[in-house]
Amino acid sequence: MMKKRKAKKAPVILLIVAAICLIASTVGSASAALTYHSEHYSAEVVLNSIGVTLVENGKGVSYRDYIKDDTWHEATGVLLENMLEEGEELQLGKAYKEEISVTNSGEIDSYVRVILTKSWRKPDGQKDPALSPELIDLHLLPSEDWVIDEDASTPERTILYYTKILPIGASTPVLSDTLTIDPAIGSKVIETVTTDKDGYKTITYTYEYDGYKFNIDAEVHAVQTHNVVDAIKSAWGVDVKVVSDDGMISLQ
Amino acid sequence: MNNRINKRTICLTAVAVFLIAGLTVGTAMAYFTTYAVAQGGYTIKLGGTETEIEEKVELVDPMKEITIQNTGDYDCYVRLKALVGDAFKEKMKYSEPGEESKWTPGADGYYYYSDILKPGESSSQLKVSFEFPKEELAQFNVIIVQECTPVLYEADGTPYADWNNTADVSQSFFVQEEGE
Repeated sequence: MMKKRKAKKAPVILLIVAAICLIASTVGSASAALTYHSEHYSAEVVLNSIGVTLVENGKGVSYRDYIKDDTWHEATGVLLENMLEEGEELQLGKAYKEEISVTNSGEIDSYVRVILTKSWRKPDGQKDPALSPELIDLHLLPSEDWVIDEDASTPERTILYYTKILPIGASTPVLSDTLTIDPAIGSKVIETVTTDKDGYKTITYTYEYDGYKFNIDAEVHAVQTHNVVDAIKSAWGVDVKVVSDDGMISLQ
Repeated sequence: MNNRINKRTICLTAVAVFLIAGLTVGTAMAYFTTYAVAQGGYTIKLGGTETEIEEKVELVDPMKEITIQNTGDYDCYVRLKALVGDAFKEKMKYSEPGEESKWTPGADGYYYYSDILKPGESSSQLKVSFEFPKEELAQFNVIIVQECTPVLYEADGTPYADWNNTADVSQSFFVQEEGE
């Protein structure tokens, strides 16, 4: 009889213990915002505001900084807008200054990466995938600081990771220095031979890529430093490891 | 009675096991991320230009005063050469008026103009004079050949001319005009 009573109680006790354990597991780490209020004064402290700015030739082009309550301070600018002098036409072969870097414009340290995409468009605006994006020579400066993910990069798209923590207010070294359009694009011509009624021929050459437009897209992404391996995996889908005490990462 | 108890026991045990199993499910994390984007580009403008000779012929002291004008839409470099019979080549001289020094002789017999000619601009004058006996004036031709080439640029922006630059014909079209 005693044994039976104990047997009856066992599942109930097990159930209660399980419920207690489950409730206890929901207690997590501190939340992102702390609001303190008293009768005499109110103080609001907002922590963990992430922000990043894309910088071109020392000037911010685009930025996106978190403020609070799902509010962002952001703006999107135009790349290459001041590349040419007033009245200047783009010259093939000339190396134009194009220094791209990133600034941490947020309130927390972060890791950043940049994705650069190059493409050509026909005069009608349609993309021309047959024309090599390598004719758009954005000269990159890979280093220990800026690492190219060769496995994920293509002739059209390049992904660079800044391997160090970018502190609040700090800027990365530049990841590029010049932009040059290969003169080879100016050597392709279309030949038209016109024979008139008297048999005289007129040969006309027109440039095949006259009117084409090159385009460069730059995206900069930032992620928190806390729990960096999981954060980067979750945000960027990339495996990294921390290789030094100061937080330097390397791609796996 | 025993069966009901057993079923209740089993159900309670199953619920308890399920709750405990729930402890092994990882917590969902939201990471702080942000991004910024920008894009830009330029249109490539390509085109050949055209040049024309302007020459003034003097017969008393035989010479041609030559300038070349860029009548097209793009910057270019120009060069010219005078063609005469072999017997008269040694009697031909090139000169520039005043202190000008923009025409430079090349080993190939061409004279090269140093400045870029922008659309509408004309070169400075080059004089081609001949030391021939006057009785021979009606028996020869002096043909002036002029050529232009697009301006190319080094990486540092320095312009230059490549007179050996050849076009790569990617496509050819043949058009037959119909007779009247």
